[in-house]
Amino acid sequence: MSSSIKRVAARLRWHACAGALVVCGGLLLGTPGHAADPAQDLRSVDQDVQVLKKQLVDLNRDLFRLEEELLYPASTQVAVFLSLDVGTFFALDSVTLKVDDKEVANYLYTEREVQALHRGGVQKLFLGNLKAGEHEIVAFFTGKGPHERDYRRGTTLKFDKAVGAKYLELRISDRQAALQPEFVVRQWE
Amino acid sequence: MSRSRIRRWTLICVAGLLAGGAGAAHAEDAARDLPPPGKVRDLDYGDVLFHFFQDDYFDALVRLEVSRDLNRIEHHSAEAELLSGGLYLSLGLHSEASRIFNRLLAGPVPQSVSDRAHFYLARIGYQRGYHAEAWRSLERIRAPLPGQLESERRLLASNVLMAQGRFSEAVGALQQAADDDWAPYARFNLGVAMVRSGSAEEGRRLLESVGTMAAQSDEERSLRDRANLALGFAHLQERAGEPAVAALSRVRLDGPFTNRALLGLGWAESDVQRPERALVPWLELREGRLLDSAVQESFLAVPYAYAQLASNGQAAQQYRLAVQAYAEESTRIDESIAAIREGGFLDAILDAAPQDETVGWFWQLQNVPDAPHTRYLYHLLASHEFQEGLKNYRDLRIMQRNLERSRESLAAFDHMVQARELAAAARAPRKAEVLANTDLDNLSQRQDALTERVAAISASRAVAALATDVERRQWAALERIEHVLAGLPPGPQREALAERARLLRGTQLWQFDAEYKVRLRRAEQSLRETGVALDEARQRVALVEQAGESAPRDTAGFAQRVDDLAQRVDAIGPRIDATAAAQQQMLANVAVQELEAQKRRLASYAMQAQFALASLYDGATAGGAQ
Repeated sequence: MSSSIKRVAARLRWHACAGALVVCGGLLLGTPGHAADPAQDLRSVDQDVQVLKKQLVDLNRDLFRLEEELLYPASTQVAVFLSLDVGTFFALDSVTLKVDDKEVANYLYTEREVQALHRGGVQKLFLGNLKAGEHEIVAFFTGKGPHERDYRRGTTLKFDKAVGAKYLELRISDRQAALQPEFVVRQWE
Repeated sequence: MSRSRIRRWTLICVAGLLAGGAGAAHAEDAARDLPPPGKVRDLDYGDVLFHFFQDDYFDALVRLEVSRDLNRIEHHSAEAELLSGGLYLSLGLHSEASRIFNRLLAGPVPQSVSDRAHFYLARIGYQRGYHAEAWRSLERIRAPLPGQLESERRLLASNVLMAQGRFSEAVGALQQAADDDWAPYARFNLGVAMVRSGSAEEGRRLLESVGTMAAQSDEERSLRDRANLALGFAHLQERAGEPAVAALSRVRLDGPFTNRALLGLGWAESDVQRPERALVPWLELREGRLLDSAVQESFLAVPYAYAQLASNGQAAQQYRLAVQAYAEESTRIDESIAAIREGGFLDAILDAAPQDETVGWFWQLQNVPDAPHTRYLYHLLASHEFQEGLKNYRDLRIMQRNLERSRESLAAFDHMVQARELAAAARAPRKAEVLANTDLDNLSQRQDALTERVAAISASRAVAALATDVERRQWAALERIEHVLAGLPPGPQREALAERARLLRGTQLWQFDAEYKVRLRRAEQSLRETGVALDEARQRVALVEQAGESAPRDTAGFAQRVDDLAQRVDAIGPRIDATAAAQQQMLANVAVQELEAQKRRLASYAMQAQFALASLYDGATAGGAQ
């Protein structure tokens, strides 16, 4: 075999070795020595993006606040939250919410949302306005109960709406003694 | 970092924040360390978590900021601060995250919170290359972190030590974390770093341990492949063919590292003088796409093996094939460069990518359609600069959409405020009329007069003053009778009538007296009630008057806020557009540079093929001449 071909082969093999180790080295998990060495102009754009993101977070925060204060002033605001406590005996599918016999929310849950509830998240199901005085809330929960059976239950609460914002919590929990789910509405001060 | 690793790393950055549950294997592991469901003490914090647990970090952060501004999550203030730092971190805002963690540490916080804040500061320092600061933060952690976070702290410690070149300490740290899920990744990192820094023997030992581990998941199998690839090439560098063959043979044939492993395997076989066996992986490799550098090299390796086998005719034929293939590929690269220079190539890439704003979008880009501007995308994705730039560009596009939604919301709010102003103006005349017809001063005077009168009755015990209308008529009739009796001539008849009148007067007075207390109480009660009613009326009138005055002021306040926000939106919009354009241009340059480098490499390969070919011809000619 000619020396020229050997030189080509030697160069290729060296290249392959170096290349593979660079590939592997470049894959060092979370090693910033390799990961964070972009060109200066890329860093500059990255900084611009960071600043813009922060401004966008602030903008959305102020917009969110304006929306709430404009549409749901504290004097008439009523918020209904939904939470799950354990929830062994009930797999939530949907909730229908009525306030003063008027349907205000009908929510179908995704698996992801149910998981978020199981992990301790609390969903703000309804935000609206009510005059001061006595009102009634009724919630119907649909899902699978014990033994995978279709399950539909309701719960209700009469409450007084005063001048300040009113928070109500629909709570699904387990009644261990009866091996059944329990649905309650709770008023928050 | 592997695809899923990057995704996991991002997830873990925030998923572990609540109670430090940085799951090593899955983000879900973080839930083990979260506050148990049902323990949320502020509903608005629960609402933040609801979005956070769905990986909707931007929305979670906005809600967290609003709730904090409105003092709605005061029971979770330290946790919320920690969470907001992590959420900023997940959005790539390292500076803001650092500021939050440092602010948290400046105040009185429980040790568990300060430990976690130090941990996240260490991670930020490490990610940004500030290894000494990262190590100082790690040293300030005073107790084991909760759950999986402790295992991640050990990994971070070994990575920081490694980054500082303190390999023996890193090995020691890894020995303490031998059972951690992260340990194989750390061993791999350390092994590669040691091979590259000259401590080859210890490095190879670490890579061997990862390369022969039992892998349960795709991710672990991928790591094992990578370790075997690195180990194989480390042996090749040492010209140790047999161990290289052993390591490279362990790489799967359908993984992301297959091509490089096939290439290396060929060289290893060639090294131990088995060119016929070297041909097997190289011929297999040559069937792959030519944009892969390993495939490109196989076009030269195959004729080299034939030449080793003294099949010069086949070798020459294969070299000619290589020259032709390199030329064709070079033309395709030219087409791609032209397409990228035309502009808009990032939009074309992202339009072809999944539209959902989830974390895993990035790695699905390899499946985009084969077009001139996307053909070399997977190759470009290997470049960290390109990855970061593409993520930034995508973030900027998402920001543009967010801004557009904000603009629409603000337009709706503006209409709403205007409608309220019109409604307030329409109600004004009726309100003025009602207020004008309400003479509360007159009513108040009458109330005062009645109060004085009842007080006088009470003081003088004027029992008759509280008589009913019937009694008053009877009393008046009795007085008229007594007046008539006074005009009659004296005599027994008048005396008898007078006696009866006196009895009647006495009876009536007795009745007045008997009822007096009840009637006085009733009158005083009525006065109190009218007093209360009057006060309420005064308050209502005041509210109506106040509403009349404040309604224009409130709507003006809202109008001002809408206007301010609209101005901010208008100011940010062009900056996002300009940054996106700059990013696009920069990535186009990176892409073109990368493709031109690829072209140069192909040209170099083509030249080497031609040299080899010429050498073969020379040899054949010389042989023929002899």
